[in-house]
Amino acid sequence: MPPTLPDFSNSVNLKYVKLGYHYLVDHFLTLTLTPVMIGIVVEIVRLGPDELLNMWNSVHFDLIQLLCSSFLLVFIATVYFMSKPRCIYLVDYACYKPPVTCRVPFATFMEHSRLILSNNPKSVEFQMRILERSGLGEETCLPPAIHYIPPKPTMEAARGEAEVVIFSAMDSLFEKTGLKPKDIDILIVNCSLFSPTPSLSAMVINKYKLRSNIKSFNLSGMGCSAGLISIDLARDLLQVHPNSNAVVVSTEIITPNYYQGKERAMLLPNCLFRMGGAAILLSNRRSERRRAKYRLVHVVRTHKGADDKAYRCVFEEEDREGKVGINLSKDLMAIAGEALKSNITTIGPLVLPGSEQLLFLLTLIGRKIFNPKWKPYIPDFKMAFEHFCIHAGGRAVIDELQKNLQLSAEHVEASRMTLHRFGNTSSSSLWYEMNYIESKGRMKKGDRVWQIAFGSGFKCNSAVWKCNRTIKTPTGGPWDDCIDRYPVHIPEVVKL
Amino acid sequence: MVPASLEIPVSGHRFSSVVPAKVTGGNKDFELTNMDLAMKLHYIKGVYFFQSEAAQGLSVHDLKVPMFECLEHYYTVSGRIRRSETGRPFIKCNDGGVRIIEARCNQTVDEWLATARDKDHSLDHMLAYDQVLGPDLGFSPLAFVQFTWFECGGISVGLSWAHVLGDAFSASEFLNAWAQIMAEEQLSSKVNDRVLKSEFPAFVSGKPFSLKKVDPVGDRWITANDSRTVTHSFHITGKQLHHYMTDKISDFEIISAIIWQSMSKVRIDLGPKTVTICSNNRLVRGDELAAQPVNGMTLSTVKADFCVSKVEIAELAKLIADRKVPENGLIEDLLSGDEEKSDFIVYGANLTFVNLEGADLYGLQLKGLKPVFVNYMINGVGDEGTCLIVPSNEKDGGNGKIVTMTLPEDQIEKLKSILENDWNISN
Repeated sequence: MPPTLPDFSNSVNLKYVKLGYHYLVDHFLTLTLTPVMIGIVVEIVRLGPDELLNMWNSVHFDLIQLLCSSFLLVFIATVYFMSKPRCIYLVDYACYKPPVTCRVPFATFMEHSRLILSNNPKSVEFQMRILERSGLGEETCLPPAIHYIPPKPTMEAARGEAEVVIFSAMDSLFEKTGLKPKDIDILIVNCSLFSPTPSLSAMVINKYKLRSNIKSFNLSGMGCSAGLISIDLARDLLQVHPNSNAVVVSTEIITPNYYQGKERAMLLPNCLFRMGGAAILLSNRRSERRRAKYRLVHVVRTHKGADDKAYRCVFEEEDREGKVGINLSKDLMAIAGEALKSNITTIGPLVLPGSEQLLFLLTLIGRKIFNPKWKPYIPDFKMAFEHFCIHAGGRAVIDELQKNLQLSAEHVEASRMTLHRFGNTSSSSLWYEMNYIESKGRMKKGDRVWQIAFGSGFKCNSAVWKCNRTIKTPTGGPWDDCIDRYPVHIPEVVKL
Repeated sequence: MVPASLEIPVSGHRFSSVVPAKVTGGNKDFELTNMDLAMKLHYIKGVYFFQSEAAQGLSVHDLKVPMFECLEHYYTVSGRIRRSETGRPFIKCNDGGVRIIEARCNQTVDEWLATARDKDHSLDHMLAYDQVLGPDLGFSPLAFVQFTWFECGGISVGLSWAHVLGDAFSASEFLNAWAQIMAEEQLSSKVNDRVLKSEFPAFVSGKPFSLKKVDPVGDRWITANDSRTVTHSFHITGKQLHHYMTDKISDFEIISAIIWQSMSKVRIDLGPKTVTICSNNRLVRGDELAAQPVNGMTLSTVKADFCVSKVEIAELAKLIADRKVPENGLIEDLLSGDEEKSDFIVYGANLTFVNLEGADLYGLQLKGLKPVFVNYMINGVGDEGTCLIVPSNEKDGGNGKIVTMTLPEDQIEKLKSILENDWNISN
């Protein structure tokens, strides 16, 4: 509300005014049409059946006109149904749960750092401070090759990690959905930093003996938001291919990307990135309508790469000693905020109720015409969605989004707890968060979920899902054995 | 071309860590008793040799996985030393973990043991990490396990264990628990509360003789020796001991007497008048899982007012058996009082005899097979020397013992010749 009316915001009356306003605008059509319909019905009843029959007979129809009209109607109906986009269902998904043998407590991580970076105490101090404030817990996992002092990242070890993560997730998906490998028509694998030849999708095809006419894609280099890019690609393909199943595998392979130098900006990913992966089954078959968990409503992709600063803010390069690492610039949060704003501007009109859009429009007009000092109206996305899955990129990202979107602690709980239990698993983190909400028994039929992911480039991608059926617990996911311990309170600084 | 004698037999070391499977959580702090702190400058090493049948098909992953579960029970072993506000060390159970080392040896197990018999097992220390806590005290692992693969496919398991954690019995129990988990046997979980105070009242008041104060070591917990010490092992067969067996005297006392008398002949000053005896009252049964590791040994001293080199062995052994004075209570009092912050050594303060007869060393089995040989050593020993008496494997005809001496270099050769000539004891 404009600041020229100060004390009203505390008044209970204003709350009811707001509610009334939202109800009025959101149900505008119903509210206007209902009196009209009532009027017509009253008129018909008043006229009586005889009068109506007379009216009908006075309109002369001959055969040609009748045929043409019905043909026109059928034609329009056919065009309408054919051009309607197919419904994309998310049948089920499976997340990889790393074994306890990959566990990395804080103490072990710090000790290894001290030994590897023994000549750079300042870098070690930096890592310690990051870890203390990171929001990660004591159960996050790194692949076996990284447990060595110094780490031994061979290609064989990287492939080994990829096999373990991807095959476990896929086996779990097959078990949950009853899907047969031969029934997979489309396969999309996304892994940003590990791209061997033959590709990871070829590795999956080889392992499960998938069909020779499968449409397979391997997306690499696209950062943490690649998971939603894969979903978008799958959706487009499922529009073209009727009656098909698409499997999307999202993961990030840590082994070859552990930075072994001492530049601080590049040590940050070491502290945050952890093992994880997810496999998702999407389908456009009508037979999946009953048992599918979600229906895909929207995917909105925003790319800020045209801006140089945004392009360079997450940059893989060599440091002064020739060691390759990912350089995170200091403007990361600001650029993320900008990308988010762009994305919201596009997704807002698609998902927000009419009332919020009207308010936003009015405030916009007001700012432009009357007084530029008016605070921009931030639409209340809580009215559009029941659940939020914010990519667990780091504590700062979640804090920033919570502030910008004015979300409560419960809305960001899934993201914070996923960061605590699994760390930043890159593109698959959205699926761990989704599973958290399901495991807590909060996902009901009709709930709308908003998944937001940020990635290098700089990209901000969103997906909107609608829950198709109430999901029962336990879900058979990675949270099953520990969901009772959550939510935990994550202190600002953990003393090591 | 490097001559074979100069080639380093053990190489290719790879370091990694193993942590407890479940989060220990709650920032548990484990108090150290005064006895623990008295032993802090000492380190125990145990090396177990297995032939290739026992190690066949075992990858390093197979060896590491049971350790995760084992550390879930032994969460103090995964901890790290921290100091409280008063400066007193304690163990913070922060899941730091145990360091694992993988290495390769270019000999076969039989070759190694054969060479070792000639060289008195002095190279066995290469098969277990030379551990010292500090100078980075808060980041030093309390235990190391080294797996060394031999050319024949055999394997050795080398445990390095900080004595501040517990005594050699605890160390052996820890490794036995690991092997039991690997064999997928159920561990009986008997959880005891650690005995925080020593149960022994002080019979005599005064200062204990078994401790010797050393210069402050700060955060690097090892003491400097005046001269280089070396470790050698001797075999004594059951038959040789049989001569002196009587009802009331155990093998340990006989061997201690033999060594004491030999040392008195070696040393110019006619040898030590006081020796320390370190024994353990706990009986280790195969099916019990010990609680957290503990320093449960009894430290006693024995004074001889006569000339040790001239008496009968049986009499000396009787003296050791009957006239030893337990000093645990005195140690407790000393460390609770003014000397709380001082640093002490126990092993090597006097000539020390450590009785590990009851330890179930051959109970550590891989694939149901016992080790062919087990050796234990102590690091961080003072100049007076230490003698460990450890059971030998059954091939020797039952009751043989292995005696591992850690002494200054110049005394070892003389001792060897005396033992060979007078007692027919050789490698």
